[in-house]
Amino acid sequence: MKAPFKIGKTALLFLPAVILGFAVFVSGTFNLAESATAKAAAAKPAGKTEAAKPPAQQAIDPTNASSVIYLDTAGKPAGIGDPNAPPSAAFKLGRGWHPQALSAVGLAKDRFGLIDWAKLVRDNVIKPKPSLDPADEEMPPLKLDVLIPAKGDFVDDVIYPHEMHTWWLKCEVCHPNIFIPAKGENNMTMVAIAQGQFCGRCHGKVAFPLADCKRCHTSPKSASKK
Amino acid sequence: MNKLAALSILAVALVLPAVSSGEIGNIKIDQQKHSKAQAGVGVVTFPHTRHEKLNKCGDCHPKIFIDKAGANKITMKGNMEGKFCGSPNCHNSPRAFALYECAKCHENVKKIK
Ligand code: HEC
Ligand code: HEC
Ligand code: HEC
Repeated sequence: MKAPFKIGKTALLFLPAVILGFAVFVSGTFNLAESATAKAAAAKPAGKTEAAKPPAQQAIDPTNASSVIYLDTAGKPAGIGDPNAPPSAAFKLGRGWHPQALSAVGLAKDRFGLIDWAKLVRDNVIKPKPSLDPADEEMPPLKLDVLIPAKGDFVDDVIYPHEMHTWWLKCEVCHPNIFIPAKGENNMTMVAIAQGQFCGRCHGKVAFPLADCKRCHTSPKSASKK
Repeated sequence: MNKLAALSILAVALVLPAVSSGEIGNIKIDQQKHSKAQAGVGVVTFPHTRHEKLNKCGDCHPKIFIDKAGANKITMKGNMEGKFCGSPNCHNSPRAFALYECAKCHENVKKIK
């Protein structure tokens, strides 16, 4: 007599959870159906424009296959956001939500949660080109490290790696406008870098952030004080 | 009687930190003068009072800073290695501004352009 009662009670306890789960399931499929019709409407040339209004912002869960991550023609994540904008174009422009789509493919991250592009190059995951111009001759990355001593008595010196940079960048991006190509000839300071000069032209903007001090300050002070 | 004693102790315990805080104000950190001069930055002013409002004394003392002015050998190297101001929950985290914002702590930081 007691056992069935217990079961009934637990079932009752779970009922709200079941209802909730069902509601989520239903609304999930509903959203899917809705975005499908929105896409179909968008695909139609000229016609009812009101149907093509952008959907409300949805929470993006990269692990959820039904979340609005757009795929490119190769089936790779290309963008998240406006379904009316062709994802491949969004991908090329680097616009919208595509960094979040990128995060869904499990690329290596640094300690700030940003994609660690340098590691991806080192691990042979990607092979960036220093120029988009097909007429430009390709140069192998320049294996040249330059020691840049940090002023002051404590902070570790900086090793500037040409190799990682010339994977991505042509010599002319930096020489001679940002840096005179001669060791010690650029009157750099951390104060200037932090205000967007020298390394700060890119780091903190398109390359890993300045807050990651120890990625640049890699050479112990004592080593250079011979 | 016992209750009164306990209450008065509690009152003192509550009032004491309130009195001692707010009296510390700003602390000038002028060690490592030579190194700072080379890097082109001036003395640091540490706003103790502002930090008291955001943190408990035990968050910093004595683990991060010995509570005696001048007793800590603070360096920018230490900061970037996760010590002192750069401790993991402090200016090396999203909780507070980053270490490269020189002028937020140092005086006489040259403005470029
Ligand atoms: C991201 C910027 C950047 C790019 C791209 C770059 N360099 Fe440099 N280069 C530097 C920096 C920084 C220095 C160090 C200057 C200093 O010490 O003041 C330097 C120094 C040099 C030096 C002087 C080395 C020495 O020991 O005196 C040469 C030569 C040089 N670069 C050649 C090149 C060539 C060739 C390329 C293209 C393959 C190239 N660089 C691409 C930033 C760059
Ligand atoms: C993108 C590379 C890079 C990053 C990241 C970086 N630094 Fe620097 N830092 C440099 C270079 C290059 C110098 C050497 C400048 C020179 O020639 O004096 C330098 C120098 C310094 C100096 C010595 C003063 C001077 O002007 O030489 C201090 C202090 C310093 N950095 C602190 C930091 C701190 C703190 C961080 C992290 C918040 C940091 N740096 C992050 C590149 C970097
Ligand atoms: C023209 C843009 C540009 C400039 C200027 C520049 N960098 Fe970079 N740097 C990059 C890019 C792009 C990468 C590779 C992507 C990344 O790591 O974010 C990179 C990567 C690096 C790496 C490699 C990190 C690793 O994990 O291997 C170091 C170290 C570095 N930069 C230091 C410097 C220093 C020091 C300076 C100044 C002397 C400097 N960079 C100036 C664009 C630049």
